[in-house]
Amino acid sequence: MVIGLRQFMARVGTGAGEPVLDTDNGEELVHVQPSVSIALGNRSPDTPGTLYITTKQVVWLSDLDRAKGYAVGFLSLSLHAVSRDPEAYPSPCIYTQIETEADEDDSEDSDSECNDVLDLSKVTEMRLIPSDASQLDTLFQIFCECAELNPEPIEEGEEGGHNWVFSTDQLEDETGEGDDAECHFHQNPTNLIGHSNGDHDLARTVLELQIHDQRFEDAEEMERVSDSSHHQHQ
Amino acid sequence: MLFFSYFKDLVGREVTVELKNDLAIRGTLHSVDQYLNIKLENTRVVDQDKNPHMLSVRNCFIRGSVVRYVQLPPDGVDIELLHDATRREARGG
Repeated sequence: MVIGLRQFMARVGTGAGEPVLDTDNGEELVHVQPSVSIALGNRSPDTPGTLYITTKQVVWLSDLDRAKGYAVGFLSLSLHAVSRDPEAYPSPCIYTQIETEADEDDSEDSDSECNDVLDLSKVTEMRLIPSDASQLDTLFQIFCECAELNPEPIEEGEEGGHNWVFSTDQLEDETGEGDDAECHFHQNPTNLIGHSNGDHDLARTVLELQIHDQRFEDAEEMERVSDSSHHQHQ
Repeated sequence: MLFFSYFKDLVGREVTVELKNDLAIRGTLHSVDQYLNIKLENTRVVDQDKNPHMLSVRNCFIRGSVVRYVQLPPDGVDIELLHDATRREARGG
């Protein structure tokens, strides 16, 4: 799914005008809230509309203009909250922050000069204002639940997410002994980790690395080793 | 699961969450989940000039993936315990 806010125009058939969902991939509608206005960035609210919360995204469709709709995936919602203080915003609403592609400075969130030319992908704040303010806590709760359904996708290849990198050396270093000695501490011998943690195998591995790693060999020794016929005395 | 367990023990304590977009929010840790999504109560923004909109927010949900730091109460940190636990976790144990 695309990062950030985007246009959403795919509506079902003629009547209900519900958003078309990616049901093949398991997307389901979780909640529908009619009579919700939407305010993007600093712009004044768009109204009236209907809010659809699915297992993957939040969709707002205008009730008046069938070509107008916005959607943002839960993966892009950095935070959401209930806003009730009239000094911060005149109407009680769900306040959300949206993660954008190239997260620039805050003030990029809307095109305040041109009314209609709004770059949705740069919108960083969105408010959803239900006409029924008593629904705010419910909406907040549903946002929480659906956000939890959308954790960061895990890179393939490791179990339990143990994809730790300890040094740049490890990246070039195609070690076959990745299994029991998972940790390669290519650090100086004063590093306590290999020495102080009582796991003898690990300690041995760390010490071995330090002793046998070719990079730590003296230059002289290396020359002698590789070039036995030509003795170059220093 | 280390930090999940660790944060669970800090529920009810005051923390400051700094997001990757530099926003810092202070509040009481209400709950945390396995993805380190964080719910805060009694939230207030640390730098009010930068983010006035957030002033009114009482409770908020912060996505784990956008958190840069969680600043902890000094007496909520047992360094020895964390040290051992992280070492064990790094070994895959």
